[in-house]
Amino acid sequence: MSNLDLSKISLRPFKLSDVDDFLLWAGDDQVTQNLRWKTCGSREEALAFIRDVCIPHPWRRSICLDDRSIGFVSVYPWSGDDRCKADIGYAVAADYWGQGIATKAVKMAVPQVFNDLSHLVRLQAFTSPENKASQRVLEKAGFLKEGLLRKYTYFKGNIKDSVVFSFLSTDEFPHDDSWK
Amino acid sequence: MMERDREESVDLAQISLRPLQLSDVDDLMVWTTDEKVPKFCTWEPYSSKDQGIDFIQNKACEFLWSRAICLHDRAIGFILMTSCSATDQSREKSVELGYVLGSKYWSKGIMTYVVKQVKKVAFREFPHLERLEALVDAENVGSQRVLEKAGFHREGVLRKYLFFKGKSRDMVIFSVLSTDLNHQD
Repeated sequence: MSNLDLSKISLRPFKLSDVDDFLLWAGDDQVTQNLRWKTCGSREEALAFIRDVCIPHPWRRSICLDDRSIGFVSVYPWSGDDRCKADIGYAVAADYWGQGIATKAVKMAVPQVFNDLSHLVRLQAFTSPENKASQRVLEKAGFLKEGLLRKYTYFKGNIKDSVVFSFLSTDEFPHDDSWK
Repeated sequence: MMERDREESVDLAQISLRPLQLSDVDDLMVWTTDEKVPKFCTWEPYSSKDQGIDFIQNKACEFLWSRAICLHDRAIGFILMTSCSATDQSREKSVELGYVLGSKYWSKGIMTYVVKQVKKVAFREFPHLERLEALVDAENVGSQRVLEKAGFHREGVLRKYLFFKGKSRDMVIFSVLSTDLNHQD
């Protein structure tokens, strides 16, 4: 299925110089439709977004192919008494869908996140029930599907159901051949 | 009055809801000092009446909605609702339910009766409300049964969702939607 050598996939912080690659996927409605992000409409918007949101973010990484940005993985920890948990989100440029990249990126991110966020016990993800591809990413990355939360959240102007997944600091990582 | 009630079933018609008042403080101290009661709550049993007064005067009013649960107009517990948008702006159509009852009144159907009433009150009081939810410690089987009997849907277990009193807690999440009410009692 895949011609891509997944060892060329890496995670690193965003840089302003990623702007043109960033715009290719963050400016694509197909990619942002399942994100809370507004689609980037211009190079200036993309630059501002990288500078003001991606770089200062508590934990956001560019998914890179040969060090060029083709997507992101983000983890947003809750604060205070709730810092035991954090929310993970991700996206990949549409041209690179269907090759196991998001799964690989999430699998790479999870151990790094538990290492970097000292109070973290629970990593959670919320997907739309229709977004089967994203649910498969989480399942292959070793997340447990916990349930369907009905009319859980407002998403781009509509009340939506959410499927909730989690990966705990005590969970085991899946073996590497799970997507072959 | 408390002695006579202990071993008997309670006439649910004598259960009422009203705002908590400062004059309820002695009754409030009965359930807040009882170690069994906050076992699955984030708070520790109270050790002084000042804490009771502080709760009634300063904390109870901060909830979106709350009432004392009364038997013959004496407070035996407390029920509250908080807005989910306080922690997550995308969740302004959701409200979370919480409740506590003095242990001598457990297992008499009181909490189920009260939750059934408050479920209807919630959607009447907040017409834009879509979802009323409750989170219960996975070990708190009694409280899970209250919600099931009161018509809430059990959606799943959120593993290690909360951390308090030194340990991680698995929480069972329940919900009832405004659209569920049309098909229920």
